Amino acid sequence: MAERRVTVESETGLHARPAATFVRVAAGAAPDITVAKGDGEPVNAKSILAVLALDVRRGDTVVIRAEGDGAEEVLDRLALIAAAP
Amino acid sequence: MLAPVTGTAVGLEAVPDPVFSEGLVGPGLAVEPDRTPGRAVSPIAGEIVKLLPHAFVVVGDDGRGVLVHLGVDTVQLGGEGFEPLAARGDRVAAGRPVVAWDPAAIAAGGRSPVCAVVALDAEAEAVTALAAGAVRAGDDLFRWA
Repeated sequence: MAERRVTVESETGLHARPAATFVRVAAGAAPDITVAKGDGEPVNAKSILAVLALDVRRGDTVVIRAEGDGAEEVLDRLALIAAAP
Repeated sequence: MLAPVTGTAVGLEAVPDPVFSEGLVGPGLAVEPDRTPGRAVSPIAGEIVKLLPHAFVVVGDDGRGVLVHLGVDTVQLGGEGFEPLAARGDRVAAGRPVVAWDPAAIAAGGRSPVCAVVALDAEAEAVTALAAGAVRAGDDLFRWA
């Protein structure tokens, strides 16, 4: 399983705009993708509810994991979104 | 789904933020709030899984979640003008106040106080019976089939 660890820099954390963008990219990709706050329970990265409910704040680390065709590529994109200020 | 605030029901496309107006978060409806201090109430019974000063998410027992977002770019206020009346993890009844705020103060600061109510992970067709015109906090706003 491929993995990225990223510190969230957005002022709101992984909230409305970054969360929606993150989920849109995840949902459009083939691999199964999860996201977790730190070493917490991973949730479905393709669910906006699950991502919002993670309650990721600025400065938190998220761990994004994917398995399947195209996993590395989609993880690179998601890591950029999560790290964007 | 109950209206969180008193005002005028408008389509999400009227929210001056593409995240909501283009439905990136999900389908729903918005309320242009009356410019008087008020309390935003929960649209459904359930658990508060996220509570920021200017936004909250409630998940019902059926696992469906709704986002209430108070105003546009209100994150920049750093919580000023919003007073939480509940906490993350609280179970709330539909219609229970969650945040006290003053839409007039938000508008005076040059931001839109429009309140978006979004059905999370829902297909656009799942949202029906959209309210129109004047609504009071606690009135039916839309149905999520």
